[in-house]
Amino acid sequence: MRETGRKPQAFSGSREWLFSGLAVGALGLMGGFIAVPILALVVWTVSEEAWGAMASPVARDALLLSMKTTAATMTIIIVVGTPAAYVLARGRFRGSRALNTLVELPIVLPPSAAGIALLLAFGRFGLAGQYLNVFGITLTFTTVAVVMAEVFVAAPFYLRQAATGFAEVDRAIEEAALVDGADRTATFFKVTVPLAFPALVAGAVTAWARALGEFGATIIFAGNFRGITQTIPLAIYSEFQSNIDAAVALSVLVLGFAFAVILTVRHLTSKATEYSD
Amino acid sequence: MVYSIRSKLVVLACAFAVTLAPVSCGGGGGGSSEGGNSGGGGGERGGTLTILAASSLTDAFGELGNTFEERNQGVEVKQTFGASSDLLAQIEQGAPADVFASAAEEEMDTAAEDGLVAGTPRVFVKNREVIMVPRDNPAGINSLRAMARPDIKLVLAAKDVPAADYAVEILGKANREYGPGFEQDVLSNVVSREADVRAAVNRVVVGDGDATFGYASDYTPDIRNKVKVIKIPPDLNIIATYPIASLKDAEDPELARKWVDLVTSEEGQKVLERWNFEPAAR
Repeated sequence: MRETGRKPQAFSGSREWLFSGLAVGALGLMGGFIAVPILALVVWTVSEEAWGAMASPVARDALLLSMKTTAATMTIIIVVGTPAAYVLARGRFRGSRALNTLVELPIVLPPSAAGIALLLAFGRFGLAGQYLNVFGITLTFTTVAVVMAEVFVAAPFYLRQAATGFAEVDRAIEEAALVDGADRTATFFKVTVPLAFPALVAGAVTAWARALGEFGATIIFAGNFRGITQTIPLAIYSEFQSNIDAAVALSVLVLGFAFAVILTVRHLTSKATEYSD
Repeated sequence: MVYSIRSKLVVLACAFAVTLAPVSCGGGGGGSSEGGNSGGGGGERGGTLTILAASSLTDAFGELGNTFEERNQGVEVKQTFGASSDLLAQIEQGAPADVFASAAEEEMDTAAEDGLVAGTPRVFVKNREVIMVPRDNPAGINSLRAMARPDIKLVLAAKDVPAADYAVEILGKANREYGPGFEQDVLSNVVSREADVRAAVNRVVVGDGDATFGYASDYTPDIRNKVKVIKIPPDLNIIATYPIASLKDAEDPELARKWVDLVTSEEGQKVLERWNFEPAAR
């Protein structure tokens, strides 16, 4: 009865096998490409017994500074970026398209270009910096500059995903809350944000990862000084010149740190989505 | 719907045109000297000469590189400038290069010890250090001695970069004249360690750094109106000696040798002198 269906099915079957095989092969290639350098880091540390370098003052200072600055950066990005993303998502004002493009620019701007731009804006003779200088405020060579650089490059990642998350929240649910007597603010915090939460978390993780890895803008705008502006990526670069064991140890350290944070966030988020269902 | 897609494409096309126009106009003029040479490699030998040189040699070697390409049709000179310590690390990690020119003998000695150098390195030029401050001299520095004052934003090259090591050597010598705490006082003013000496000088050029120790040769024409130079007393100054050598893994040892010959020739020495270096012979 179904004989007419057999032959074409067999042909498409082998093609399907081929494409499936290619797709799996592609994944294997990508996965391998990413795994090999990471493995190399761990192998070196173990074989050269470079563990000790992880406890060196340079590594400690860099790790502490990176933790401090990314914490500050993420606080700023979440506190200021969440309402900003909401307006971006819901706003129907003139120039909202242009504004959207503007806040996404740092994503495609090479970090070193961002560093130059920040320097020209906030350096001692900068566009805004010259006025700050009148009040005796200089930003270069300070930890504040590191946070500024991190916010500049990382905020767009959060804004983009948060805006998408907010845009996808079902208006009907919000309206239902409003009808039931909640005001706009309560609706925002008790309905919109929880519904957009997975997108917000994903955006925050991406932004944090970007901030942690920021190098070009930091070294150009903020400078490079242990304990004040030498974040982990800068420390790795500086140590590479004189002591490769320290550079490798730092790389493994930041790898472990990032891994731990991502796992924690994933765990917390899965718990949240569990409850939301 | 079609209208909006078309207008989007128009905007996109305009954006590309605006960015590519200056590149194609400027690139045509600037790139012709290099493009012509490597393109016309029909008759003469072709090939690439890869040079790793200290960042202070950027201008002088840049000029000599053009001369070399004109004299050796078909050859492309590729130069990477950076901190000598950084370049050494790259060579040790296997970066392909034909010639290494360092701002200090230490890096060249290490390269030679590790068997990366072909033949014997020779010192081809010398240099001195100077203090550079922004034109408006916000920290009011007028002498080496004044560098010990607190609240000066001193920028130095990173540790192990020859320029920074020389600066520390100068400060150590100055202890004899200005008192044993001088070096420490000056170093406590450091606010940033930059990738190489040119990056440190640049901090002063843009006005964010109050002072830096750079080479006399780093006081190039393009920064003269933004930077002031303060001389270091000759008896406290160091003489930086720059060695050059072909590398063992050079792709074309003959080309490498020709480059070293050009740099050490009278013509090469004149070019270096014009860029404020001191000739090796003196």
